[in-house]
Amino acid sequence: MRERIELVFLGVFEPASFAEFMRHRARRLSVDAETRRLDAGRVEVTVEGESALVDMFEVACSLGPLDCLVTDVARRAA
Amino acid sequence: MTDPAVPAWHAVALAADIEPGTSAGTRLHDRELVVWRDSAGASHVWEDRCPHRGMRLSFGFVRGDHIACLYHGWAYDTAGQCRAIPAHPDLAVPETIRVPTYASAEASGLIFVWSEMGATPMSPPAARPLTALRSLFVEATPERVAALLAGRFAPGPDGSFAGCLAGADVVLFLQPFTAERTGLHVTIDGAGDGALVSRGAEALRHAIEAAAPSRFASLEFAA
Repeated sequence: MRERIELVFLGVFEPASFAEFMRHRARRLSVDAETRRLDAGRVEVTVEGESALVDMFEVACSLGPLDCLVTDVARRAA
Repeated sequence: MTDPAVPAWHAVALAADIEPGTSAGTRLHDRELVVWRDSAGASHVWEDRCPHRGMRLSFGFVRGDHIACLYHGWAYDTAGQCRAIPAHPDLAVPETIRVPTYASAEASGLIFVWSEMGATPMSPPAARPLTALRSLFVEATPERVAALLAGRFAPGPDGSFAGCLAGADVVLFLQPFTAERTGLHVTIDGAGDGALVSRGAEALRHAIEAAAPSRFASLEFAA
């Protein structure tokens, strides 16, 4: 089952690093990820794909790259 | 042969050391590799990293013609393609979830890997009637080991070194493990006492590690 959601990550980000991390994980998991907002404290991204793969994308990004720290994640239907 | 920028075949294990259904980790030019053998007997060399969480696949387990990650059981077929995710048994796993692989081949009792990830080598490694004896790891740079061996053994076109060790004809294959560490795979060409050659190889390793840092240094040992 496919779904389309919006993810909001709060934390401390190196924007370029987090963007590359999201691109890489989206490509690997075959989901479409469109970044809506990307700054040092907040990232918003719309994700579409198989439900299980969208969930994997969320978990992967909540761990994030080494130079970023995610403190909170919120999701809602897009 | 020691330059990571030049693609080449490198021995990374004795074929007999990787039994069917097992895996082992190694390195080539500091890149972490998993060497594993499926239940049918075919060997494989891949990047040693599960695409899911980065766990070493060499810690995983082999079942038939798949290797599965120790962390969450993601299972990969012999092409590196993920075929099963236990937490999502009904998911059609996308083709994008796959492990980067290296071309590999067995010859002369050794497992060779082509150093360029994903590339297809023009020809297989030379196969010679050698008896693979053991692998040693030397605390010295691959360049230095090659230079010291060249003073006592005859370098071959495939990057190996041939000569006499402990009364036997041997062929030594270098594995550029890291920038500071070198694998040495010892094979015997013809007849030879394995125990004696093995001790000779250890003496050779000590001699390399003890050799003066000068570029004019030579190996001094009685083996």
